[in-house]
Amino acid sequence: MSLRRDARGKRPQFYADPAMDQAMSMIMVLAEEYSALRDRLDTVERVATSAGLAAAIEAYEPPQDVLELREARRQAFLSRLFYLARKDATDAAENSSDASFTATINDIAKG
Amino acid sequence: MNAMLNTFQQADHPVLPKADADERARQEFTKSLKGFVQSGLLPGLGPVFGARAAKHFEREHGRAPADRHDIRKAMLVDPYFQTYAATNRIAQELLWDSVIDSIERQLPALEAEAAALSATARAPLETSPDFATPRYVTALDIHCMPGGYAEPGGIAAGALYDRGVYLYSMGYMGPTNDDMGRSVANYIRRRMPDFQPTRILDMGCTVGHSTLPYKEAFPDAEVIGIDVAGPQIRYAHARAAGLGADVGFLQRNAEATGFPDASFDLIVSHILLHETSGKAMPAIMRECHRLLKPGGVMIHADLPPFNLMDPFTQFILDNETWYNNEPFWGAMREIDQIALARSVGFAEPYFDTAPMAIMEFAAAAESYTEEAAEALAEREFTAGEYAPGGGWEVLIGVKS
Repeated sequence: MSLRRDARGKRPQFYADPAMDQAMSMIMVLAEEYSALRDRLDTVERVATSAGLAAAIEAYEPPQDVLELREARRQAFLSRLFYLARKDATDAAENSSDASFTATINDIAKG
Repeated sequence: MNAMLNTFQQADHPVLPKADADERARQEFTKSLKGFVQSGLLPGLGPVFGARAAKHFEREHGRAPADRHDIRKAMLVDPYFQTYAATNRIAQELLWDSVIDSIERQLPALEAEAAALSATARAPLETSPDFATPRYVTALDIHCMPGGYAEPGGIAAGALYDRGVYLYSMGYMGPTNDDMGRSVANYIRRRMPDFQPTRILDMGCTVGHSTLPYKEAFPDAEVIGIDVAGPQIRYAHARAAGLGADVGFLQRNAEATGFPDASFDLIVSHILLHETSGKAMPAIMRECHRLLKPGGVMIHADLPPFNLMDPFTQFILDNETWYNNEPFWGAMREIDQIALARSVGFAEPYFDTAPMAIMEFAAAAESYTEEAAEALAEREFTAGEYAPGGGWEVLIGVKS
């Protein structure tokens, strides 16, 4: 049984170069897979001591404290992944620009 | 919201697609990514616009950006906005894909389970292979859900919507995705304590997320959900049976339902109107008026009009039109809904806010921690975040 995988409707282009759109989507798929692997590894570590490892992994139901731990880790990971976007927004909020950077260097050279 | 750790988990029921360990981890990732886009990237748009995109626009055009269209022009060329919008779109695409994996793996079993459950239900199920699904539902795959609401087939599109929308809403709608219906039902009980509807119609019900709370609030009433998409209706019927709710589901078009005049005391819809069209929306309003008994109530929980918000907020919200296959989203917000409701016969239609029922979930489900539910309920409305803080906008009309 196979379902449709592509949504009808022209996909918007977000970046000036369409290759960048593809690269970004591939990066995010890798991030998704990395996150899935981390969850699996976490489960493996938690059930490794018990018998019937594979079945136990599939059946594993993370309790609330594990749910919280995993979500905190995913958010921390995403924060690292998007650190340049965060820097960009912070620069914008603080009016930090190439011009202000150059001005600072010039100021310090004089002062 | 930054401080809120969202560990919300969907409540299981017999026809919900079950994820294996990796599918579940991918699904959790897409939910986390959507949450991050909202809490980690969205807040930067304002500073980026103010500090450089607006100035850039002004240098190019000799004037400041005046409305949401100007703001959009200014932001489209900004790399920060490009990353925000691209990542949001990608999260949406990954989300559906992660659920399709689960469904493909177990569809025959889900179909069999659905058929068995539906066979046990007393409430009616009605679908027709000849049903004419309106173009506004089939032209684009709304929300970028591959195949859309009405993709032919048994229940697959319903299963995809049920699990996908839970992730899409990041669990903000509660363990059974029913916050909108629950919130409006609560609103009715609290604000209209003497109103005891005996026949209730939910228009555009999809899989019945918001339909079931009305049966819970008014157990003696006959509750019917209608939708144009057969797979949603079939899945809704089986899901309701699996959850022990006696609710009927019929494949009907809200523009022309086929019910006799004065059939219902209460007609509701939840995020339906913005998925229709310029011609369908007035037709649906007219149909509501025709179907209501005198004294009957119509409540549509949907999007507030653009004129109630500033241009930057409008711009953020309008991204849905462009990036999430929501063709009527922007145009719908330009419509004077009060005037429209008045024109079809409702004497004094009005907007109000139905407070979110989210706090109720904290008591009912462990993953809905008190802290997270409170953070969700008490936040201010922020454009671009899923679901408002506080409550849902409702358009209310009472038939004289």
